[in-house]
Amino acid sequence: MQGATVLRVNLSTGQIRKEAVPEQMIKTFIGGRGVGSKLLMDNMDPKIDAFDPRNPLIFATGPVTGTYAPTGGRYMVITKSPLTGAIACSNSGGYWGPALRYAGYEYLMVEGKAKEPSYIYIHDDKVEIRSAKHLWGKIVDDTENMIREETHPEVRVALIGQGGENLARTACVMNDKGRAAGRSGVGAVMGSKNLKAVAVRGTKGFKIANPDAFTAAVLKGRDKLKAGPTTSGLTMLGTAGTVSYMNMVGMLPTNNFQAGVFAGAAAVDGTVVKKDFMTRNRGCHSCMIHCGRVTKVTGHGQFDGRGEGPEYETIYGVGTICGVDNLAAVIKANYLCNEYGLDTLEAGIAIGTAIELAEKGYIPESDIGFKLKFGDADAMVKLLEAQAFRKGPIGHWLAEGGFRLAEHYGHPELFMGSKKQGFAAYDPRGSIGMGLAYATSNRGACHLRGYTISLEHFGNPIKLDPFTPKDKPYWLTILQNTTSFVDASGICLFSTFDMNPGEDVTAMVSESLGYNVGGPEDMLKIGERIWTLERMFNNAAGLTRADDSLPPRITSEPLTEGASKGHVVDLEPMLNEYYQLRGWDMQGRPTSDKLRELGLA
Amino acid sequence: MKQIVVYQEKCTACRECEVSCSFSHEGAFVPALSRIKVADFYEEQFYQPMVCVHCADAPCAAVCPTVAIQRQADGQIKVIDDRCIGCKMCLLACPFGVMGFSPDKGVAHNCDFCDGDPQCVQFCTPGALEFKDVVSAAAPAKQKAAAALGLPQT
Repeated sequence: MQGATVLRVNLSTGQIRKEAVPEQMIKTFIGGRGVGSKLLMDNMDPKIDAFDPRNPLIFATGPVTGTYAPTGGRYMVITKSPLTGAIACSNSGGYWGPALRYAGYEYLMVEGKAKEPSYIYIHDDKVEIRSAKHLWGKIVDDTENMIREETHPEVRVALIGQGGENLARTACVMNDKGRAAGRSGVGAVMGSKNLKAVAVRGTKGFKIANPDAFTAAVLKGRDKLKAGPTTSGLTMLGTAGTVSYMNMVGMLPTNNFQAGVFAGAAAVDGTVVKKDFMTRNRGCHSCMIHCGRVTKVTGHGQFDGRGEGPEYETIYGVGTICGVDNLAAVIKANYLCNEYGLDTLEAGIAIGTAIELAEKGYIPESDIGFKLKFGDADAMVKLLEAQAFRKGPIGHWLAEGGFRLAEHYGHPELFMGSKKQGFAAYDPRGSIGMGLAYATSNRGACHLRGYTISLEHFGNPIKLDPFTPKDKPYWLTILQNTTSFVDASGICLFSTFDMNPGEDVTAMVSESLGYNVGGPEDMLKIGERIWTLERMFNNAAGLTRADDSLPPRITSEPLTEGASKGHVVDLEPMLNEYYQLRGWDMQGRPTSDKLRELGLA
Repeated sequence: MKQIVVYQEKCTACRECEVSCSFSHEGAFVPALSRIKVADFYEEQFYQPMVCVHCADAPCAAVCPTVAIQRQADGQIKVIDDRCIGCKMCLLACPFGVMGFSPDKGVAHNCDFCDGDPQCVQFCTPGALEFKDVVSAAAPAKQKAAAALGLPQT
């Protein structure tokens, strides 16, 4: 069976060690999000603060990362989140994850805290901790360029911008300039360690266990993606193609979820991105989808620039939730988030929260410096900068994230999220299953753990009524278990609309590892194990049923217009059913029988 | 003669060409040893796959001190492993930087068309790579350029 290596770098002591991952751990948790979470669990007390030097920052690849499996280029950043206090697992594409494997490591675990700004340079067997004093305070693109100058032209860099340096809880880890391990504030953990970047030059490469059988599985998967409707849709319009649809079904979050219909939706749709701003597609490592939007903004004054984006979630984060319908401004905000290393969702959600608080008079104008209103594109862009640098009271509280900002100004109920992490771009009142998905997501509100939209609106794999709770808890557990496995494999979730993860991804993982992980049922069991392990972390960190919650706006204030008018999410009955299906008690704690069944006791 | 024809405007920098090339030649995923490489100009939004074009007057062959780089009957420039001493002069001589070197084998390498079925072409989803006769491939460019000069728009 193919082994795996974890490179352990302790920034406090300067110690650098290479350890083999136990074979049993790979069989039990596969890789990526699975093994990464297990390494976190085994190496920290979940109760400690996220900024404590003892909180490890783990970079994890999966068994298919770096191969030619379609979309097989993902890596994950696993750590305790400073935003949620729960386990964080932020997933990114690009080329950095593959490079780590080519250098000879499946995992990188960074521990401790450097005395001064530092970066790690990995060139195959050679690993160094270098000074980053000259890089601290630099934007992402400049930092990567400077590291490339002083190391090698083909180096791959994962790094933070000023957001992470200033411990913004909305900060992400960037890599390959336009890619981000975005959510849960993992960039701030990197900043708390004084770690500016991890630069990797991998030239060794790696072999897999069964090359011929692996290739057969890859070719089969490729054929499905080539024929797949979601793949071609994402190639054409990216995720941004979803804007108009979500508006049509009345769940495009507008003005901090005060509405599900946005008057400016047509102006910020993916078709406009393509027509007016896009220069070409960009693909991550070994991708067949190429959903990346390479864009250029010209003739829009202060919003001019070039870079990557926007995704649908970004159009919501720095667009619709702030009431902004100026697509040039949205794209500019995306560029700035990439340069400062801010999560386009969380950074925008914090601003959207602040706007509602300001409009209702809960934030004194002196804390902001001007009159803040929904729809003000200039203000939105300005507040991103304030956030990255913690400029003034508003900058400071934005950097703390929407929940802490709303709590500070006396109205935590106006923060639209769960576990202190903002919702993704789907108002759950138009897709009841998403309410349960947000509430139960182990890393806080998230659309990538259980995309019930797929069933409630797209009919994939079956069609469910979006407005009833019926069957939602059951399907959510299936989706959560599936995505847990997919994230463990190192493949991109976007491939799973057109491939069958239980057949295709399991085959690729099995032939790569040389260990038969089994079929669909086995996949669900492994996924359930990973999901439950994350839950154990959260429970040990002090989270309870009370954290599996939704704000009152979602549970008791019906939408007043559009196709989802009149609906709310009745969470508690769904939550009870969900816990039961999961084999957890009514406080959301896995029972000892369940733990034994999953081998987690 | 057939060779790898590159349509850079279709390239998305996904590097499937690099991984598939290295896997078919080395039995390992090791893009560092790929015969084809994507030159990525991120800021300029320009990606250009670079691969051996089998020059008619090949500088790599001209500088090779052991005559290890030879032209085949079909026009292909090929490194004869047994003759290669690993001096890497060809890497420096190549104007496109597409001669590679394998440290393990101690020999230079370039694109060998995978015995007539180039894997990079097979795996290139956006169609940025094609395996065809370059002289014929250039013909449509003439029509296109001429049209741009004054073909009435309908």
